Amino acid sequence: MSKYGITITEVREEKFLVEALKEMGYEVEVHPDGAQLNSYYSEQERKTANIILRRAQLRGAYGDIGFARQPDGRLTLIADELDAYAGYGSKWLGRVQQLYKEKQTLAMARAKGYILKKREVIQTSEGQQVRLQFAVRR
Amino acid sequence: MQEKTITITIDEQGNSTLDLNGFAGSECNKAFEDFRGSDAVKLERKKTVYFTSQSNAQEQIRR
Repeated sequence: MSKYGITITEVREEKFLVEALKEMGYEVEVHPDGAQLNSYYSEQERKTANIILRRAQLRGAYGDIGFARQPDGRLTLIADELDAYAGYGSKWLGRVQQLYKEKQTLAMARAKGYILKKREVIQTSEGQQVRLQFAVRR
Repeated sequence: MQEKTITITIDEQGNSTLDLNGFAGSECNKAFEDFRGSDAVKLERKKTVYFTSQSNAQEQIRR
Protein backbone atom coordinates (compact mmCIF):
# COMPACT_ATOMS: atom_id res chain seq x y z
CA MET A 1 0.00 0.00 0.00
CA SER A 2 1.17 3.50 -0.73
CA LYS A 3 -0.16 6.72 0.61
CA TYR A 4 0.03 10.41 -0.11
CA GLY A 5 -0.92 13.35 2.08
CA ILE A 6 -0.59 17.08 2.60
CA THR A 7 -0.26 18.52 6.09
CA ILE A 8 -0.15 22.04 7.52
CA THR A 9 2.56 22.68 10.08
CA GLU A 10 1.38 23.54 13.56
CA VAL A 11 4.13 24.89 15.80
CA ARG A 12 3.75 23.29 19.24
CA GLU A 13 7.24 22.24 20.35
CA GLU A 14 9.22 25.12 21.82
CA LYS A 15 12.58 23.37 21.44
CA PHE A 16 12.36 23.12 17.64
CA LEU A 17 10.98 26.65 17.27
CA VAL A 18 13.92 28.04 19.26
CA GLU A 19 16.36 25.99 17.14
CA ALA A 20 14.74 27.25 13.93
CA LEU A 21 14.95 30.90 15.01
CA LYS A 22 18.57 30.48 16.09
CA GLU A 23 19.41 28.98 12.71
CA MET A 24 17.94 32.12 11.13
CA GLY A 25 20.52 34.06 13.14
CA TYR A 26 18.39 35.44 15.95
CA GLU A 27 19.08 35.61 19.66
CA VAL A 28 16.04 34.06 21.26
CA GLU A 29 14.56 34.83 24.68
CA VAL A 30 12.49 32.07 26.27
CA HIS A 31 9.98 33.05 28.97
CA PRO A 32 7.95 30.10 30.29
CA ASP A 33 5.60 32.49 32.11
CA GLY A 34 5.53 35.07 29.32
CA ALA A 35 7.15 38.49 29.05
CA GLN A 36 6.09 41.80 27.56
CA LEU A 37 6.70 42.73 23.93
CA ASN A 38 7.82 46.29 23.21
CA SER A 39 5.78 48.10 20.55
CA TYR A 40 6.57 51.05 18.31
CA TYR A 41 3.71 53.10 19.74
CA SER A 42 3.72 53.28 23.53
CA GLU A 43 -0.06 53.65 23.62
CA GLN A 44 -0.57 50.27 21.90
CA GLU A 45 -2.07 47.44 23.89
CA ARG A 46 0.64 45.57 25.79
CA LYS A 47 1.18 42.04 24.49
CA THR A 48 3.06 39.16 26.04
CA ALA A 49 4.83 36.18 24.49
CA ASN A 50 6.78 33.11 25.58
CA ILE A 51 9.46 33.23 22.90
CA ILE A 52 10.73 36.69 21.99
CA LEU A 53 12.97 38.26 19.37
CA ARG A 54 13.85 41.82 20.39
CA ARG A 55 13.51 44.62 17.84
CA ALA A 56 17.20 45.60 18.05
CA GLN A 57 18.13 42.54 15.97
CA LEU A 58 15.13 42.70 13.60
CA ARG A 59 16.15 44.88 10.71
CA GLY A 60 13.35 47.32 9.81
CA ALA A 61 10.93 46.01 12.44
CA TYR A 62 8.67 48.35 14.39
CA GLY A 63 8.43 46.24 17.51
CA ASP A 64 9.53 42.99 19.15
CA ILE A 65 8.24 39.78 17.63
CA GLY A 66 7.09 36.87 19.75
CA PHE A 67 5.36 33.52 19.83
CA ALA A 68 2.73 32.96 22.52
CA ARG A 69 1.45 29.65 23.81
CA GLN A 70 -2.27 29.27 23.13
CA PRO A 71 -4.74 27.25 25.24
CA ASP A 72 -4.73 24.50 22.57
CA GLY A 73 -0.92 24.16 22.85
CA ARG A 74 0.04 25.94 19.63
CA LEU A 75 2.69 28.66 19.58
CA THR A 76 1.39 31.51 17.43
CA LEU A 77 3.09 34.61 16.07
CA ILE A 78 2.52 37.89 17.93
CA ALA A 79 3.78 40.90 15.99
CA ASP A 80 2.91 44.46 15.18
CA GLU A 81 0.70 44.65 12.06
CA LEU A 82 3.20 47.06 10.53
CA ASP A 83 5.91 44.40 10.73
CA ALA A 84 4.12 42.31 8.11
CA TYR A 85 5.17 45.04 5.66
CA ALA A 86 8.69 45.17 7.08
CA GLY A 87 9.56 41.61 6.07
CA TYR A 88 8.05 39.73 9.02
CA GLY A 89 4.76 38.60 7.47
CA SER A 90 3.55 35.28 6.14
CA LYS A 91 6.66 34.62 4.04
CA TRP A 92 8.93 35.07 7.04
CA LEU A 93 6.66 32.89 9.18
CA GLY A 94 6.60 30.24 6.45
CA ARG A 95 10.40 30.07 6.53
CA VAL A 96 10.29 29.67 10.34
CA GLN A 97 7.75 26.87 9.97
CA GLN A 98 9.83 25.18 7.27
CA LEU A 99 12.91 25.07 9.50
CA TYR A 100 10.77 24.02 12.49
CA LYS A 101 9.21 21.14 10.54
CA GLU A 102 12.57 19.91 9.26
CA LYS A 103 14.10 19.89 12.74
CA GLN A 104 11.05 18.22 14.27
CA THR A 105 10.93 15.58 11.52
CA LEU A 106 14.64 14.70 11.82
CA ALA A 107 14.37 14.38 15.62
CA MET A 108 11.22 12.23 15.43
CA ALA A 109 12.75 10.00 12.74
CA ARG A 110 15.92 9.48 14.79
CA ALA A 111 13.89 8.63 17.89
CA LYS A 112 11.65 6.15 16.05
CA GLY A 113 14.39 4.41 14.09
CA TYR A 114 13.78 5.71 10.56
CA ILE A 115 16.93 6.07 8.47
CA LEU A 116 17.63 9.33 6.64
CA LYS A 117 18.66 8.39 3.08
CA LYS A 118 18.74 11.77 1.38
CA ARG A 119 18.28 15.49 1.99
CA GLU A 120 17.72 17.81 -0.96
CA VAL A 121 17.01 21.52 -1.28
CA ILE A 122 14.92 22.23 -4.35
CA GLN A 123 14.34 25.64 -5.92
CA THR A 124 10.83 26.03 -7.31
CA SER A 125 8.79 28.95 -8.65
CA GLU A 126 7.06 29.00 -5.25
CA GLY A 127 10.29 29.14 -3.30
CA GLN A 128 12.69 26.72 -1.71
CA GLN A 129 11.58 23.23 -0.72
CA VAL A 130 13.37 20.80 1.57
CA ARG A 131 12.95 17.15 0.64
CA LEU A 132 13.88 14.42 3.12
CA GLN A 133 13.80 10.76 2.22
CA PHE A 134 13.69 8.07 4.90
CA ALA A 135 13.76 4.29 4.87
CA VAL A 136 12.42 1.90 7.46
CA ARG A 137 14.93 -0.06 9.50
CA ARG A 138 14.52 -3.78 8.75
CA MET B 1 10.56 -6.84 -2.08
CA GLN B 2 10.09 -3.09 -2.56
CA GLU B 3 11.90 -0.88 -0.04
CA LYS B 4 9.66 1.06 2.32
CA THR B 5 10.34 4.74 1.88
CA ILE B 6 8.87 7.95 3.21
CA THR B 7 9.53 11.20 1.37
CA ILE B 8 8.56 14.45 3.04
CA THR B 9 8.73 17.71 1.12
CA ILE B 10 8.49 20.86 3.24
CA ASP B 11 7.67 24.12 1.46
CA GLU B 12 8.08 27.78 2.46
CA GLN B 13 4.39 28.19 3.17
CA GLY B 14 4.46 25.78 6.09
CA ASN B 15 2.91 22.88 4.16
CA SER B 16 4.38 19.40 3.85
CA THR B 17 3.64 16.60 1.42
CA LEU B 18 4.09 13.04 2.62
CA ASP B 19 4.70 10.28 0.09
CA LEU B 20 4.86 6.73 1.43
CA ASN B 21 5.78 3.78 -0.75
CA GLY B 22 6.18 0.02 -0.30
CA PHE B 23 4.18 -0.31 2.90
CA ALA B 24 1.60 -2.94 3.76
CA GLY B 25 -1.55 -2.46 5.80
CA SER B 26 -1.51 -0.72 9.15
CA GLU B 27 2.23 0.03 9.10
CA CYS B 28 1.53 2.54 6.32
CA ASN B 29 -0.91 4.41 8.58
CA LYS B 30 1.54 4.25 11.48
CA ALA B 31 4.36 5.78 9.41
CA PHE B 32 1.98 8.46 8.13
CA GLU B 33 1.00 9.37 11.69
CA ASP B 34 4.67 9.42 12.80
CA PHE B 35 5.57 11.94 10.11
CA ARG B 36 2.38 13.96 10.40
CA GLY B 37 3.11 14.55 14.08
CA SER B 38 0.77 17.20 15.47
CA ASP B 39 0.16 18.86 12.10
CA ALA B 40 -3.29 19.34 10.60
CA VAL B 41 -4.13 17.06 7.67
CA LYS B 42 -5.22 18.87 4.51
CA LEU B 43 -5.36 15.81 2.24
CA GLU B 44 -4.86 12.07 2.77
CA ARG B 45 -5.33 9.36 0.17
CA LYS B 46 -4.16 5.89 -0.81
CA LYS B 47 -2.24 5.78 -4.07
CA THR B 48 -3.25 3.61 -7.01
CA VAL B 49 0.37 2.82 -7.95
CA TYR B 50 0.21 -0.59 -6.28
CA PHE B 51 -2.95 -1.64 -8.12
CA THR B 52 -1.78 -0.18 -11.45
CA SER B 53 1.60 -1.90 -11.38
CA GLN B 54 -0.06 -5.20 -10.45
CA SER B 55 -2.51 -5.07 -13.38
CA ASN B 56 0.30 -4.03 -15.79
CA ALA B 57 2.32 -7.08 -14.77
CA GLN B 58 -0.67 -9.38 -15.35
CA GLU B 59 -1.25 -7.80 -18.77
CA GLN B 60 2.37 -8.42 -19.80
CA ILE B 61 2.11 -12.09 -18.79
CA ARG B 62 -1.00 -12.49 -20.98
CA ARG B 63 0.82 -11.08 -24.06
